[in-house]
Amino acid sequence: MIGPGIKRGTAELAVLSVLEDGPVHGYELARRIEQQTKGALRFTLAALYPMLYRMEQRGWIRGSWEISQQGRRRRCYRLTPAGKTKLSPLRKEWSELFYALQRLTKVTHA
Amino acid sequence: MRDWEAVVERQLNGLTLEPAESAEVIAELAAHLAESCEEWRRQGMTEETAARRTLSQVEDWQKLRRLIQTSRKKENVMTNRVKQFWLPSLLTLFLSMGLLMLVQFFGPQPWIIARKSAWSLIAPVAVVYLPWLFSLPFVGALGAYFSNRAGGSQRAMLSSIVFPVLPYLAFFLLALPVTAIFHDGLGHNIMFLALFVGLCAWVVAPAAALLTGGALVQVFLSRPLDSRRIASGE
Repeated sequence: MIGPGIKRGTAELAVLSVLEDGPVHGYELARRIEQQTKGALRFTLAALYPMLYRMEQRGWIRGSWEISQQGRRRRCYRLTPAGKTKLSPLRKEWSELFYALQRLTKVTHA
Repeated sequence: MRDWEAVVERQLNGLTLEPAESAEVIAELAAHLAESCEEWRRQGMTEETAARRTLSQVEDWQKLRRLIQTSRKKENVMTNRVKQFWLPSLLTLFLSMGLLMLVQFFGPQPWIIARKSAWSLIAPVAVVYLPWLFSLPFVGALGAYFSNRAGGSQRAMLSSIVFPVLPYLAFFLLALPVTAIFHDGLGHNIMFLALFVGLCAWVVAPAAALLTGGALVQVFLSRPLDSRRIASGE
């Protein structure tokens, strides 16, 4: 499992990356992140929504209400142009960090 | 079936947002909990176990309430904008203006660029305060440093660095042409050249000086800042 300090930093990148594929609601967003990272990143409700609201305030994502097939109201989030702009340097920063750590710790892909 | 909205409303009691906004938050969290509970039920849990497991996602509802309030307040964005752009920009503006006044009052004679005839200077004339120009890299560096320290984006930093030349740019691009149109006393034949000389002396050269200082600070700080942003998740 990845520790909480690193997780905090990866959270925004994870959300923006998932939303790049298309709009999703909060529950589905958390589910996809967990699924795609094979459980390494897991968002509970308490961690997810304050972050989504903060990202919405920054203008990176936008939420809008939609009705699901079961007739339930859900708030779907989509990436804004500002979010797309943010994603690219964020990816670069993380890639540089992982590359640096890889060289430092001499960890290679198994 | 549980009324998740009632559960969330009770747990987030005291949420200090606008009523419509509170209702949205409650509905959204309730929808999340309902889906979560249904998922546990599909995996074969009893209603009671699934509900308990769902509610265990939030260990501290008071903390969640505080986090939601903080994250939804627009003031935070404003505070960031003030810290990352307006304060560094105003600092560079007033510092550069103050330094210019000091140089004008106490400094050496300005460098005057003009063609000279036998009896006078021929327009366009540019007055360049060299000590002021040499002090501007320091001002730009300060702007970049404070914007960077507040977590400003590249754009916010760049704007803070060149902010002191914006009034001059506005003057040359707006005030001077407008004056030329409405003021009969100005020689229109010298306007384009005057505009060019003025822009070079009061906009391009100071902007280059400011950017030199700002770029140096960015080069020195960019590496540690990148790492710091990653670690803090900003």
